[in-house]
Amino acid sequence: MATLFISAENQIHRLNLLTEKIRALQALPIPILTTAPDAKAWSIIQIVDHLNIAYSHYEDKVSDALNKATSIENDKKPFKARIWQGFIISGQRPKGTKRKWKMKTMKRFEPDTIEQSYEEDQMATVFQQFQRLHAHLKEAILTGRHKNLYHMKISSAIGPIVNFYLPEAFEFILCHAERHLIQIEETKEQLSKKEL
Amino acid sequence: MDDDAFDRLCNFFSEISFTDAQKVRFRSLWSFIEVPRGTLITEAGKVERYFYFVLEGVQALYILDQKGEKVVLAFSYAGSPSGVFDSFIAQQASPTFLEALKPSKLLKINLEAYLSLFELFPEFHKWGHHFFRNVLFGRLFREVEILTMSAEERYIAFMQRCPEALKVIPQKYLASYLNMKPETYSRLRSNTTY
Repeated sequence: MATLFISAENQIHRLNLLTEKIRALQALPIPILTTAPDAKAWSIIQIVDHLNIAYSHYEDKVSDALNKATSIENDKKPFKARIWQGFIISGQRPKGTKRKWKMKTMKRFEPDTIEQSYEEDQMATVFQQFQRLHAHLKEAILTGRHKNLYHMKISSAIGPIVNFYLPEAFEFILCHAERHLIQIEETKEQLSKKEL
Repeated sequence: MDDDAFDRLCNFFSEISFTDAQKVRFRSLWSFIEVPRGTLITEAGKVERYFYFVLEGVQALYILDQKGEKVVLAFSYAGSPSGVFDSFIAQQASPTFLEALKPSKLLKINLEAYLSLFELFPEFHKWGHHFFRNVLFGRLFREVEILTMSAEERYIAFMQRCPEALKVIPQKYLASYLNMKPETYSRLRSNTTY
């Protein structure tokens, strides 16, 4: 498997695109945001809610690790992901506009309102929370540009079976969100063929 | 903004002759920022919000290649304009970054105020013509350099025209700008006179 190079600037670029795309979703009609395309699938707002839940598992760990990391003066080279972590990240990373394979979400990452509908103010909260959490991620990536992150490991949201150096964690979180962005596009496409 | 900074800004817009009242108005449209080394003044994926004039420091405009390496497109430095002009004018997200390679002091103006300059002061049209002509000629000249010159010729041409401020930034940025490997740049630096 080819080495996965990770650079903070690349992550910032992708994160900016991601947050703008999610921001633009707020202009969609409510039925598009709240309707699941089929009984087993999530609605768009549930997908965004899931991204919030996923990142909330990392928020404090990332902050703690960054606080402990030492500052560096020199320019950093792109970070090379380790083999196992690179494999895990690649599993999330979409290939073009396709998700490589579908995965079953663990119960604790499912949206709280999986069996209920969202009120309008709840949806606004979900979008606000997304922007707040991903502003935290961006600040973490920016801060990490001036820190030595080679010794700062955190466990992944699924537990210590996978641990990440911070740049690997950022990459995993981004790839996971990009994967769900494709799911959102697929959902929009499926809903456009239905009468809502 | 202090008087010295404002004088330097007025010198940059030398095509325009301001009355005293116009100077006050012109000055009010600009604001001062100071950023430490390494700051991303403009991030890829965002719309450029400002046109900058550089008072101090050096900034690099770059894009990322597939390996995440920075590919330098241009530099700005004291006395020059800065920013991601295409994104600023088109108000579309930019694929390029603007990073402070040295601690930097800049003056900035937002798009609304920038456009108002052309309404308030018709001579800005003349400045705009000269400015974008220079940008275009500069890009065309650089394209010819990259496509037709050897690494050594590019190095010599650059060193003969570049300001002293650029010679002290990390070599990898200069090497990238000249489309050569840092090792090649280092060898040319040791062995080439210009």
